[in-house]
Amino acid sequence: MTIEIVGGAANQIPVAILPFSVPVAPGMPLGLRNPAEVVAGDLGRSGYFRVLDVSDVAVPPAEPQDVQLQDWKNRGADAVVIGQIRPQSGDRVEVRFWLFDAVRQTRLAALSYTTSSAGLRAVAHRIADAVHQALLGEPGAYGGRIAYILKRGGRYELQVADADSQNAVTITASPEPLISPAWSPDGQRLAYVSFEDKKPVVYVQNLADGSRRAVARFRGSNSAPAWSPDGRRLAVTLSKDETSQIYLLDLLTGEAARFTRGGALDTEAVFSPDGQWLYFTSDRGGSPQIYRASLSTGAATRVTFEGGYNVSPALSPDGRTLAFVHRRDGRFHIAAMDLNSRQMQVLTETAYDESPSFASNGRLLLYATLVNNRGILATVSVDGKVKQRLSQSGDLREPAWGP
Amino acid sequence: MKQLAYSALLLAALLAGCSGNPSKEAAIEDRGIKAAEAEQMEGVKIVEAARVETQGAARAIPVSEAANKPGAGVNTSGTATQPISSKTTESVQTRGATAASSEVKSLADGKSAADAKSGGVVGGDKSTAAQDASTLPQPDAVPAWGDLKNPENPLSKRRLLFDYDSAAIRDEYRPVLEAHVQFMKANKAAKSILQGHADERGSREYNLALGQRRAESVFNAMSLLGVPEAQMEAVSMGEEKPVAEGHDEEAWQQNRRTEILYQGE
Repeated sequence: MTIEIVGGAANQIPVAILPFSVPVAPGMPLGLRNPAEVVAGDLGRSGYFRVLDVSDVAVPPAEPQDVQLQDWKNRGADAVVIGQIRPQSGDRVEVRFWLFDAVRQTRLAALSYTTSSAGLRAVAHRIADAVHQALLGEPGAYGGRIAYILKRGGRYELQVADADSQNAVTITASPEPLISPAWSPDGQRLAYVSFEDKKPVVYVQNLADGSRRAVARFRGSNSAPAWSPDGRRLAVTLSKDETSQIYLLDLLTGEAARFTRGGALDTEAVFSPDGQWLYFTSDRGGSPQIYRASLSTGAATRVTFEGGYNVSPALSPDGRTLAFVHRRDGRFHIAAMDLNSRQMQVLTETAYDESPSFASNGRLLLYATLVNNRGILATVSVDGKVKQRLSQSGDLREPAWGP
Repeated sequence: MKQLAYSALLLAALLAGCSGNPSKEAAIEDRGIKAAEAEQMEGVKIVEAARVETQGAARAIPVSEAANKPGAGVNTSGTATQPISSKTTESVQTRGATAASSEVKSLADGKSAADAKSGGVVGGDKSTAAQDASTLPQPDAVPAWGDLKNPENPLSKRRLLFDYDSAAIRDEYRPVLEAHVQFMKANKAAKSILQGHADERGSREYNLALGQRRAESVFNAMSLLGVPEAQMEAVSMGEEKPVAEGHDEEAWQQNRRTEILYQGE
């Protein structure tokens, strides 16, 4: 997969990420990729940082006293990252890193991780998260995973990859469409809709062993799964009793309790993080809009009013921001609304945006769009300033950012 | 004849905007059983089951837990294909894009034929509806499975198109609907899959619900005309199965549709 940056923050922080010191020592696993490359890739693509060229560094500093902060300040760096890898027993290594403020010549962070060599990438993402947090005062989102559907050659694949699109694994492949993957809160399971039975059926698949089962295969259509915060229930859209309505499915008993009523079309439910509310799309007011209903009383109120088409609600992890698809002049954009002020902002310029989902830090949105009639994935910061595009051969769609 | 006229009256009322909303009972639960029944029918062809492969993707092991676990990364040991899924795929079959594209043409033919029969009068009033009904096959000519593929027979018309964001059945489809109602009544073993579709614009899930509503619109019309609900199922493919691949209104119009399919066909 290729990642392209199409926009960045106004003031990018210049940062020097030096190669981590990897001593040639007995017991050191061979062929390790230097974590600094992964850290530099993460931070460089984020749009918040400008990563300085450090290719002239012949012998990277291993310890804090070895780094010449004044030199890096003179080269334009505001911050400097150094690190080292130390062999432990067997396949295991210890990774240490330090982050310095080159201007004030102070240490901002120092952390150590122990991992197997296969877990080195994951550690590098966590280091990028720590650097992001220390320099910007808010968490990064480099360590999560994404799920999405790849359509190529008439075949549909549900894939799971690291947030930087590396390590992609196909967990389900089918000649019939797959849509709507949804992560369980613990990141262990994915719910999704498969058309392999020639109609939409909701499945839940365990990521550890690949086992799966159909959890909603009622008469009619079954779709739009969303997990409750405790992971015990799924909100789903079923048409078994009336037209598409929202039900709460108990995953232990398999019982589906009807949640919405009335002849209007209700779908695309998501739980609020506190488990008190269900946000969903409904055309009960004549056009598709987003509503919010209390899970205890069922009483619903309308949330979106601007424009005639607002669908696909997604909630930030703190429950304060609602992202959705908003149609304006026949074009479909990603928009975000502050749920306190009810202020709405359109974040994208592309015309066929779909399926927004929040990163765990609540600062980035992942969505699908069309560029030159090809499906790609894209991210945008909630302020609309920083954008990335992820593409590969075939059509990418239906992304979901997981824990 | 009297019954036909009554049916036509009911349908005319429906077309005029009276949205009947019968509750669905007698759910079609076990598709495996229905598939077995279908196999005994004439001219039955069970399509090959969709092959679905699944596998696990173990998370790169969190650093804190890594000490206790030997490996991290991809676990391909769990290649599990659930028997239940491959079994049920056999029970419902669609004709796919090949059959679908040839139907586009015959549908256009069907429209002009319908207009000609009703003397150019397009409307939902009682007399026109009754007149249309009189052109249906006579009771002695019981509609049979073979008629479903006979281009001369209205039963070969399987596709109803819809306006944007609408599930209202257009007048022009009255003869098609009535032909299928007669077929279903004459062939109690026939089980119809009413498959709704939407165009590609907007949310996939919302489009799934729109397609469902289009399927239910046909379901309700046929139910009012006397087809037992247990003999039909309304499902939606959303925007996932377009028959026209373009990105303009011409293609979108072709894709906003309900297909009348028969299990075991």
